[in-house]
Amino acid sequence: MRELNSMIPLVKNETIKMIKKKRFYVILLVLLVLVPIFAYAQLRAAEEKRSKFGADWRREVQQAITDNQNSLGSDRVPEEWKKYRQIYIQQMKYYLEHDVNPRQPGAVAFTKEFLDNAATLFIPLLIMGIGSDIVSSERTSGTIKMLLTRPMRRWKVLLSKLITLLMFVSLIVVSTFIVCYLVSGLFFGYKGFNLPVFTGFKLQGADVDITGVHAVPQWKYILMQMGLIWFVSSVVAMLAFMVSVLVRSTAASIVIMMAALIAGNILTNLASSWTSAKYLFMVNLGLTQYLAGTPAPIEGMTLGFSLAVLAVWGLASLFVSFLVFTKQDILN
Amino acid sequence: MSKNNSTSRIWRMTGVLSLLSTLLLIAGFSFAVKDVIFPQAAQINGIPDQNKTGLPEEAPGSLPSDSKELSVTAIGDSLAKGTGDDSGKGIARRTVELLKEQGAESKLVNNLGINGLTTEGLKHLLDEKGVQYSLRQADLIVLSIGGNDLFDGAQNLQSGRQLPSEQELEQSVTQASEQFAAAIAKLIEINPQAQLVYVGLYNPFSDLPMMREIGDGAVARWNNIVTDILSDYEKVVMVPTFDLFAQNSAKYLASDHFHPNGTGYQIIAERILQSAY
Repeated sequence: MRELNSMIPLVKNETIKMIKKKRFYVILLVLLVLVPIFAYAQLRAAEEKRSKFGADWRREVQQAITDNQNSLGSDRVPEEWKKYRQIYIQQMKYYLEHDVNPRQPGAVAFTKEFLDNAATLFIPLLIMGIGSDIVSSERTSGTIKMLLTRPMRRWKVLLSKLITLLMFVSLIVVSTFIVCYLVSGLFFGYKGFNLPVFTGFKLQGADVDITGVHAVPQWKYILMQMGLIWFVSSVVAMLAFMVSVLVRSTAASIVIMMAALIAGNILTNLASSWTSAKYLFMVNLGLTQYLAGTPAPIEGMTLGFSLAVLAVWGLASLFVSFLVFTKQDILN
Repeated sequence: MSKNNSTSRIWRMTGVLSLLSTLLLIAGFSFAVKDVIFPQAAQINGIPDQNKTGLPEEAPGSLPSDSKELSVTAIGDSLAKGTGDDSGKGIARRTVELLKEQGAESKLVNNLGINGLTTEGLKHLLDEKGVQYSLRQADLIVLSIGGNDLFDGAQNLQSGRQLPSEQELEQSVTQASEQFAAAIAKLIEINPQAQLVYVGLYNPFSDLPMMREIGDGAVARWNNIVTDILSDYEKVVMVPTFDLFAQNSAKYLASDHFHPNGTGYQIIAERILQSAY
């Protein structure tokens, strides 16, 4: 209990520092600028579709199925893509069969799609924005000496920084949802929390096992997405945290994390034949695809596998962070 | 003092909000893990039961006649799709355009043509709810099928595939015509009100000396059998294409020597209009 009591002022101190740095406001601002742009683009796409298919989503979905079926016959389409399309066809047929519109326009649906797309790069980038300099900035500014000359154990100082970082991870994930919902509502209306989404498509090669498919209301689906994104973001935060401990310069630590994240995005598009790549953390960031039933980038990846890989990376980076921080000499 | 107060307030607010967010996210995370890893535990809920019976059974033709718009749906093989037409329009879109030129309001509901579809495939396709829905919306259904049953893989001629022999063709015609009869019955059952136009077969090999005679024979036999089957139904016509490609294959066939080109499709569309309206 005494330990905890001594932690709270430290965390408070770190939180105030974080707020004072205005990093969190910058993130909110980025969201406020970008989300309307995405929403507008989506709106235009929807309008164009409506001019072609009228209000009849069933025809649109059926045409999408037929178009994809046609591309399956073409030898020019790589096998890998065919698998994606086969799965897509079967999912769309399932939606039609149950008379549920897979792309019902609305702020909730937009948010759902945005979260799916933001999970692997955009949100991790935001997390890096606050995580990458959380230790290294103290070094750059020299304040680290002041921090460590206080009568506190070093690990407590570091732990308080980690707790603060994780607090802000949660805040960023939740505010991404809030901004996204509120802003896109202006474009699409605020309805749609109870619309059903199908989940539980099990993939076996190019076939979809639909025995486990069930409907969840959209609010629950989004909550699940956010939970998974939160897990990914926490691991990214821990990695950024480690880099921030290891590297003296803030710029360098941002570059290192950025390179890793972008490499992950490139690898997921390329790596299907290099199967060992699945043990890299950056290939496992797309946890929400397991909900949606899109095939994992590399054969044999499951939610359990990805969670385990991410957890190992996260714990390892915490271990390294604390080990290095408590042992190393602060010279300058 | 007031500065101290404000930092305390910021801290309290941030602390409480982040704690609540974290709890919410942990809940979402455990829902997700449970849902993906143990999906059996989740019951089918959220959608009302009546939805599982399928798409709404709209009275055939009722919707289009309200709007006085002539709705066209194309279904079948690559000819329905429009393969070989560089403009990508195919029979269906060209028919719609011609109708519009004549002053009739018209729109394309769906083009459900799939490359390589056989009569067998068509039968399965007609079981799909979405396909049935699109067909029920139509006043005019353009059907093209049978070519792939007879000349399967003939597009791969360049890759050195064997040409079908006379006996093989004979057999294909017999088998395919049975499937065809079943498919037509299904199609009419789905939408008895619509005008159905069947695009007859032509001999894609009329420019190949050794295949000309055999192909002509098979196609003629197919077209005869099909005419016979279709004569049982009232609102069905067959549009012949055999004559178009018999002499003028260079003019009307696309560079793959199998599918019509834009001009070919245009003429077929014109014929559809002549015979159906």
